[in-house]
Amino acid sequence: MTIIKDVRRILSISVRSIAAVHLFTSSCFELSQTEGASMLPTIQTSGDFCIIDKSFKNGNKIKIGDLIVARKPTQPDSWVCKRITGMPGDIILLDPSRDNINELHKRYNENKNDINNDINEIDIPNLNKIGKFNRDPYDMYIIVPDGHVWVTGDNLSDSVDSRTYSVLPMGLIGGKIIIGIYAPNLLKFNGNYYRFLNNTFEDYI
Amino acid sequence: MNYFQSIYSKFQQRNPILSYTITRSIKFISWIPLIYLFSEHFAYIGIIDGISMKPTFNPDNSISKDRVLLWKFNIRNNLKINDIVFIKSPINPNQIHTKRIKGLQLNSIIPRYPETRSKILIPLNHIWVEGDNIHSIDSNTYGPLSNGMVVAKAVWIIWPLNRFGPIPANGGRECREDKLRYNGSNNNQLNNDD
Repeated sequence: MTIIKDVRRILSISVRSIAAVHLFTSSCFELSQTEGASMLPTIQTSGDFCIIDKSFKNGNKIKIGDLIVARKPTQPDSWVCKRITGMPGDIILLDPSRDNINELHKRYNENKNDINNDINEIDIPNLNKIGKFNRDPYDMYIIVPDGHVWVTGDNLSDSVDSRTYSVLPMGLIGGKIIIGIYAPNLLKFNGNYYRFLNNTFEDYI
Repeated sequence: MNYFQSIYSKFQQRNPILSYTITRSIKFISWIPLIYLFSEHFAYIGIIDGISMKPTFNPDNSISKDRVLLWKFNIRNNLKINDIVFIKSPINPNQIHTKRIKGLQLNSIIPRYPETRSKILIPLNHIWVEGDNIHSIDSNTYGPLSNGMVVAKAVWIIWPLNRFGPIPANGGRECREDKLRYNGSNNNQLNNDD
């Protein structure tokens, strides 16, 4: 009888401790591995781990320039890691990587007066036209709706992001990445194995 | 280890009531994460507020709100037409809304206000949700919704007791284009609600 009692005790303790770990990882902090080339200068293709702060779940307190993890809208079982480049109410050019920088500067100077005005005064359908005709679909401007964000990878040429699946609902955001840990340096003991992943937009705000 | 055990037994001898309450409360607290895990991933009881699902839930304007049993385990890949789901609102992600699924991925949908857009093709892993009541903010306002926004599926009415039982399978309107065309009453169906 004592064996059964011991087994029951061990089982209940292990189940409770697993539940406690789950509660911690789903509401406080989580360590997870990242893969892929979409965030390349910031996060390596392989061997990189990151610590996720779950208090930013559902897009609470999130700012432009933050690194987030989110469910992919077209594939909700997989998670993506992207940088927020548009908040609700911002006007977004769908794909700036298609144009060269001189063109963008030229267009900015043409529309400078409009951009400095109140958002409600900007005529988006008019901005999306050249003369009478619509612009190329990737060359359009949109306003990010309430409760949504615009996310892009840092490596624009190899990233599936809002340019493909449009705005991301904040309900899919799982948390904000605060620390990156590079595993190969961790094993060497001499390298700088951890780094804070800062908000790169803070200088411009 | 013996050192700590001796301290603990001394403490137990000196004030037995306090040590009893401490051990009991620690045992109770250790079960809370398990309750959280169960309520977050398996089943929970949801309260339905508001008039957006009116013929199905909260049919009369009484003070009591309907309580339903929610199922949360492995739902994202098993969504069906006419399921009632709890979704995070895309306008304010901290709010949770109750809606009925009216279209699945790759269905072609005729929205309630066809003047603005005549037809909508639902993208992969997205759903079209509508309230049973006309006065509801649903996919007609904010468009197709990702499967990832689904939080739970309602399976059983618990309260009030006179409606205890499974949830009515029909409600709302038909909005899939192929079904409407099959019935041969496209315009009638659309006009019934308006």
